[in-house]
Amino acid sequence: MLSKKGARAFFVIGTGLCFGAFVLLTFDTFNRIPAQTNQAAMDESVIRGKHLWDTSNCMGCHTLLGEGAYYAPELTKVYERRGPAFIEAMLRDPESMYPGKRRMQNYGFDDRQIGDLVAFLQWIGTMDLNGFPAEPDLGAVAVPAAASGSSPLAATGNRPQVFNQMCIACHSLDGQGGVVGPALDGVGGRFDRPYIERWLHDPTEVKADSKMPKLPLSENQITELGAFLSQLRPAAAGTSTETAR
Amino acid sequence: MKYESQRIAWLFFATSMALFSLQIVYGFIMGFAHMGFDVLHDVIPFHVARTTHLNLLVVWLLCGFMGAAYYIVPEEVEREILWPRIAKLQWASLVAVGLVAIIGFHFQWFEGRKFLEIPRELDWLVVVNVVTFIVNIGGTMLKGRRLTTTSCVLFFGLLMSALLYLPGMIDTDHQTHDSYWRWWVVHLWVEGVWELIMGGIMAFLLIKLTGIDREVIEKWLYVIVGVTFLSGILGTGHHYYYIGAPRYWLMIGGAFSALEPLAFLGMAIYAITMARKGGRKHPNRDALGWTIGCSIMSFVGAGFLGFAHTLPSVNMYTHGTLVTAMHGHMAFWGAYAMLVLGVISYALPQLTGRKVHDGALASFAFWCSNIGMVAMTVAFAIAGIAQVYLERRMGMDFLAVQEEIEVHFIGLVLAATVFALGVGAYVVNFVRAGKPVGEVAQGADRSTADAAEARRVLGTEAQA
Ligand code: HEC
Ligand code: HEC
Ligand code: HEM
Ligand SMILES: [Fe+2]
Repeated sequence: MLSKKGARAFFVIGTGLCFGAFVLLTFDTFNRIPAQTNQAAMDESVIRGKHLWDTSNCMGCHTLLGEGAYYAPELTKVYERRGPAFIEAMLRDPESMYPGKRRMQNYGFDDRQIGDLVAFLQWIGTMDLNGFPAEPDLGAVAVPAAASGSSPLAATGNRPQVFNQMCIACHSLDGQGGVVGPALDGVGGRFDRPYIERWLHDPTEVKADSKMPKLPLSENQITELGAFLSQLRPAAAGTSTETAR
Repeated sequence: MKYESQRIAWLFFATSMALFSLQIVYGFIMGFAHMGFDVLHDVIPFHVARTTHLNLLVVWLLCGFMGAAYYIVPEEVEREILWPRIAKLQWASLVAVGLVAIIGFHFQWFEGRKFLEIPRELDWLVVVNVVTFIVNIGGTMLKGRRLTTTSCVLFFGLLMSALLYLPGMIDTDHQTHDSYWRWWVVHLWVEGVWELIMGGIMAFLLIKLTGIDREVIEKWLYVIVGVTFLSGILGTGHHYYYIGAPRYWLMIGGAFSALEPLAFLGMAIYAITMARKGGRKHPNRDALGWTIGCSIMSFVGAGFLGFAHTLPSVNMYTHGTLVTAMHGHMAFWGAYAMLVLGVISYALPQLTGRKVHDGALASFAFWCSNIGMVAMTVAFAIAGIAQVYLERRMGMDFLAVQEEIEVHFIGLVLAATVFALGVGAYVVNFVRAGKPVGEVAQGADRSTADAAEARRVLGTEAQA
């Protein structure tokens, strides 16, 4: 039978060995982090953004690198997902973005602070995270309408980039996207191109009580979106609006 | 109770009760926000509520551990606390720092690193406070008449918790470094040195409550904490999978953390076996209930539910979802909250001289809180698994998924109401027991200068 002395020896030796290994691995990890996390791109602005991220406690609602709270969207890939203009708009006036949904703190950031936070989020997006966040792997089941491509993302390739970044945050198309505004399937049948372009310049000028905020769009983007949206026709049942055009 | 200065523990226990109650209030604020009723947004936005909820938890558990140490150590080493006056001051300053931190959070004064939100200035005060505590307890042990394994394990756990707070204070500009050190505190606390504290307190309670031989209990204590460190130290890797650390952590963290449940399983088997063998001599059945309950619920919450998402292939999808919240609640409740409630249940009748432990209210508190917590865990699990499938595996938009699972938060809030009723009953019992004016046991040496000093400091001279 194990004696008390033997038990103590097991505890002391086991703990010692594991702690030693842990310290060595820590050194090795710190040597590898610069390459793995694109540390070269960490400029002054990114560092200011990181400290702003901390003192603002964004982690109290959001997750970053999967760590934080589960009340607001995961932000690791938000730069790629939404683009800088959208993030800037979000940080400048969170109240008007995502109207009627969960509320984000309005910090009253100035331009420089917003720039720093965007730079920080951009840098985070370039890290090698061993595959996190994973691509949705059951998507094709969820969106049968997109059966034209092998994955739902394949079917979105021919949309303007700004549509996939900004508009999809609030609107859905082909069953994918946000639920803040109405689905945009067949919107070309409801409105003509000039109306859509006027709408995109400033929704409140078209409809005074519009809940859609005025978005930071360039003339080129508006033209591109106008062309894209106006040809989204109401589809015959069962087919995708995009494939039906 | 054998020593006058053990009464200091009551101050810490009372603080624990108050902060725990407040923690639950903030939990409800968040539960309602998730249901879509974020009515307090302008006063207490979500991140303020969450930060307060988490830090109240940490502080009330630490208060409970400190109270336990002030209660257990004199009895184990057979002498009064070395400096009762300093112990009382340490309590007062801990309360002061805690209050400033909590109020500061509401004015958005925080560091924004989950679990370590207390601003750097206050971190230093916490360090000073804890050093005072450690020196006082350590000094008492050195001057004591004997040194037991139980008290040494408890002390080592407390000392290491204090030391492991320091990596969390390393200044860094890099998100990955930040995260890396943060887990040295959070993980190595809950899945490392706090288990020593748990082992020490549990051994003390089992020795007292079951009358079983100290040698047997303490031998197994070594084996269990040995397994804890063998798996738990390198198991830290399960937090390093996806934060920008090298890929080898997937293997190391996965393999070692998968062994962590063994320590909790060991603890449960050990507690149950000892309770059986010992023949349950002690009249305080309530304390024994919490002790055994703690060993079982910690295995379920930490061991089983921890294992459920610790493998890298699972964690890839559950990381950063409500699945983590499911595990966190049950683990903290089972392992540490129930432990503190167990010590309080054991110590309170002795401290106050009132037998509050065998009333109907005490069993109501036990069953209601536990059933409530299990139901809360189920609600979190359903919401979390739905989130994993809809958002992570099928690519639905975050907010759309949240609206989809709002309904499960109604279940959560209902379960939390049951839980809160149980905890409320426990607190009522605590209040009804009154002040720590209980008699020091017959035959104990109350004539020493140390005992007189303790009576003076604690204002219990009248009973002398
Ligand atoms: C009180 C909670 C809260 C805090 C604090 C908070 N956010 Fe948010 N944030 C939200 C919510 C909720 C959303 C989702 C959109 C909505 O409902 O408004 C969001 C959305 C966003 C988005 C858009 C994400 C997307 O996928 O469209 C960005 C970017 C963002 N937040 C950045 C930040 C930054 C940076 C901070 C810290 C300076 C921060 N947030 C602090 C709640 C919060
Ligand atoms: C912050 C959320 C949000 C974003 C981002 C957003 N929208 Fe909207 N959108 C709305 C809301 C809300 C409405 C409904 C407005 C109303 O009727 O008051 C709307 C309405 C519309 C309409 C009219 C649809 C109809 O059927 O009535 C069009 C067209 C439109 N949006 C296009 C766009 C495009 C193109 C983009 C990308 C540049 C975009 N929206 C980005 C929220 C948003
Ligand atoms: C009493 C012991 C334990 C407590 C109190 C506890 C508590 C917690 C808490 C609060 C978190 C969330 C941390 C955060 O998001 O910042 C967490 C995460 C985690 N825990 Fe535990 N835990 C315990 C034991 C365990 C064990 C034994 C395992 C594994 C077998 C485990 C596996 C995990 C994993 C994998 C995560 C990471 C989740 C993620 O972010 O993806 N835990 N734990
Ligand atoms: Fe962990």
